[in-house]
Amino acid sequence: MNMTDAWIIPLLPAGAFVLLLLVGAYLPRKGDFIAIAAMAAAFVAALLVVADFTDALAEHGAEFAGVSNSIEWIDIPDVLHIDLGIHVDGITIVMLVVVTFVALMVQVYSLGYMHGDSRYGWFYAILSFFAASMLALVLADNFLLLYFTWELVGLCSYLLIGHYNHLRSAAEASKKAFITTRIGDVGLLIAIILLFKATGTFNIQEIIHAAEAGEIRSEVLTASVVLLFLGAMGKSAQFPFHVWLPDAMEGPTPVSALIHAATMVVAGVYLVARTLPLFELVEGGPELVLAVGLMTTFISALLGLVMTDIKRVIAYSTLNSLGLMFVALGLGAPGAAMLYLFAHAFFKAMLFLDAGSVIHATEAQEVDKLGGLLRKMPITGVTFALGALSMAGVPVLAGFWAKDEILVAALDNHAVFALLCLTLPVTALYMARVFILTFLGTPKDEHAFEHAHESPPLMTAPLVLLGILTVVGGFVVFDGLGELMGFPGGIGQVIFLHEPHELHLDWNVILGSSALVIAGLVAGWYAYVVRPSVPAMAARALAPIHRLLVNKYYIDDIYQYLIDHVVLGVARLLSWFDRNVVNDTGINGPAETTNGLAYLAKFQQTGKLPNYALAMIVGVVALALVAFSLKG
Amino acid sequence: MEEARSVAQQIPLEHFLVLSAILFSLGVYGVLTRRNAVLIIMSVELMLNAAAINMIAFAAYTAPDRFIGMIFAIFIITIAAAEAGLALAIVLRLFRNQGTANVDEVDELKW
Repeated sequence: MNMTDAWIIPLLPAGAFVLLLLVGAYLPRKGDFIAIAAMAAAFVAALLVVADFTDALAEHGAEFAGVSNSIEWIDIPDVLHIDLGIHVDGITIVMLVVVTFVALMVQVYSLGYMHGDSRYGWFYAILSFFAASMLALVLADNFLLLYFTWELVGLCSYLLIGHYNHLRSAAEASKKAFITTRIGDVGLLIAIILLFKATGTFNIQEIIHAAEAGEIRSEVLTASVVLLFLGAMGKSAQFPFHVWLPDAMEGPTPVSALIHAATMVVAGVYLVARTLPLFELVEGGPELVLAVGLMTTFISALLGLVMTDIKRVIAYSTLNSLGLMFVALGLGAPGAAMLYLFAHAFFKAMLFLDAGSVIHATEAQEVDKLGGLLRKMPITGVTFALGALSMAGVPVLAGFWAKDEILVAALDNHAVFALLCLTLPVTALYMARVFILTFLGTPKDEHAFEHAHESPPLMTAPLVLLGILTVVGGFVVFDGLGELMGFPGGIGQVIFLHEPHELHLDWNVILGSSALVIAGLVAGWYAYVVRPSVPAMAARALAPIHRLLVNKYYIDDIYQYLIDHVVLGVARLLSWFDRNVVNDTGINGPAETTNGLAYLAKFQQTGKLPNYALAMIVGVVALALVAFSLKG
Repeated sequence: MEEARSVAQQIPLEHFLVLSAILFSLGVYGVLTRRNAVLIIMSVELMLNAAAINMIAFAAYTAPDRFIGMIFAIFIITIAAAEAGLALAIVLRLFRNQGTANVDEVDELKW
C-alpha cells in the first residue's frame, strides 16, 4: 500500500462504526468481531504504510520530508479554497502504529473485560469511532480536518468516560473532562482562525513555510502559538487543566488505556510536535512549553505517592509522562518526545489493562483492599511489574531509552536537568508502592483475595504482547534497526529527517539516572515491604505536606470555589441582565407600549352610527376646505 | 330635449347649484339627526339626488352636446335603487335580530 493511500486507514474503523450502529444489535455478539476485524485491517494497513515509508527513506535518504495527498473540498473562486488531505511523515508513522496497535489490543482485551455489559455493542461502536477520529487526526494535513477530528476524539472520550451512565460520578467526570478540554479547544479554534486570516490557508505545512518566510506578523504569530498551546494543554491535561484526567478514570479501564494513556491525551504532544517550527519562531515559545511540562511532571509525581486508587496512581503517572513529553518538546527535542510517546503508549496501556485485570478479578480498585495478588494472577503481576519498571526508567526497558533521550536533551539546561532528576526517584517510589501494595504482601481484604483469579486468555494475551513491546520497544533507538530495515539511522532519523539525529548515549547520564531510579525503588521496597510503618510515620512527620497532597493541592477545591462564586456569580448577573434588560425591556417593552397605546386608542370606537357619520362629514368638509385654500 | 335645454338656460346655473346644495345639506342633516335607520336611508337618497341634479346642471351648461351628465344621472339612480334595496334588507335583518331600528341602540361594534 502506498503512503498516499493512507486515508483508507481511518475509513476502516469508521465503516465498522457505521455498521455497528446500524445493524450491530441484530448481529451475533453485537458485532464486536466487525470492530476487531476493521481494527486489525487498519493495523495491517498501517504496517504497509510503514513499509512504504521505509522504502522511500532508503531511496531518498534524509531529504525525504513525507508525502501529501489531498483533494479539493471547497472552492469559491477568488474567495476561498480549502483542500482536504493527508500528510504522512515520521510523526504520522509513529502515531499510526501506536493508535492502530493499542486500539486493537484494547478491543481484544475488552472482549473479556466488557463481557456481559448492558451497552456492549455501543461500547464497541464508540471505540471504533474513536479510532477512526484519532487516525484521521494524525493523518490530517490541514488545521480544519485536525480541528474537527480533535473535537470528535473529545466527544468519544466524553461518551466513554460516561459509559457507566447510571453512576453519578461517571456522569460528572465525563462532563468535567469535556468542559475542561473545551476551554483549551476554544484557544485552538481561535489560533486556527488567526493563522487562516494571516496566510489564507489551513494547510499546516504551508502555514509553517509562511511563518518561516516571515509572512505572519509577529504579534499574530505569538498569539496564535499561545492559543494553539492552550488547545494542546487542555487535550494533554497539562497544568492547570490536568484536573480532568484523574477523574476520567471513572470510565471502563480499557477506555483509560486507549484514550487516557496511549492516544487521545498525546494528541496535544502530537500537535505541538507537528507545529514546533511555529513555537521556535516565537520568543519564549519553547520556554512556555518547557515550563508547563515541568510543572505538570513535578506536581503529578508527588500526587502519585498518596493516591490509594490503583487507576488514579497510574493516571497521575500518565500526567507525569505527558509533562515529560512537553519538557522534551520545549527543549527542542521532538524526536525524544515522540520516542517517549511511542514507548509510553505501550507500557502505560499495559499498566491500565493490568489494573483492569485486577479490578475484573477482585472488583476492588483501592490498594487498601488488595495485596498478595502476584500468586493468584502471575501474568498480570509480571506485566505490571515490567510496566512499573519501564515507567520508572530501569535500563533496557522501553521507558528507559526514552527518558534517557530527554535527560540528554536537558543536559545543557541545569535547572531543568536538576528538576527532572528530582522526579526520577519519586516516580520510581510511587510505581514501586502501587506494585507492592497490589501484588505483594498479605491480602488486606480476604473476600476480594479469595475471589481473585487470573483473567481469561483474551485479556492476558494483549498484556503479554504489550509486555514484549515494553521490553524490546526501546531498541528502535539503535541505528542498526534502521539499517536492518534498509535506511540509515534509528527512529530519530525516521521521525525528524531535517536534522539527522543520532542516539545520544551519555554514560554519566545513564549511570546517574539509573542510580536515582534504583534508589527510589529501594526506598519503596524498604518503606512498603521491610518496614511497613514508614509511610504512616512519614505522613505524620510531614502532615501539612501530606494533607496538601491528599487534597491534590486543593486545585479542585479552588476551581470549585471559582465556579461557585465567580463563574456562577457572573452568570447570575448576566441572567439578571438578560431577564430584566434584554427580555423585559428590549423584547416585552415595545410589545407592552403598543398594547398600552392601543388600550388608550380603542375608546374612540363608540359603535354609534351617528358618531361615525359625523366624523366622515367633518372629514369631507375639512378636506374640501383644505383643497379650496390650496387652490385659492 | 332641445326645448328643455333652452328653458334651463334661461335660469342661471347658480340656482341649480344652490338647490342641490340645499338638498344635500338636508340629507346630511337627516343622516346626522335621525335615529331611525329607515329615515337615515331616505336622507342618503336625498344626498344622491342632490348629486344627480348637480351632474345634469353642469352637463347642460358646459357640454350640452355630449350626454355625460345624463349618463351619470342614470347611473346614480340605478345605484340608489340597488342601495335602497340592500340597505332596507340590512335594516330588516337588524330589526329581526335586535328588535329595533334605532341606530343609537345598535352599538355593539365598539371596544
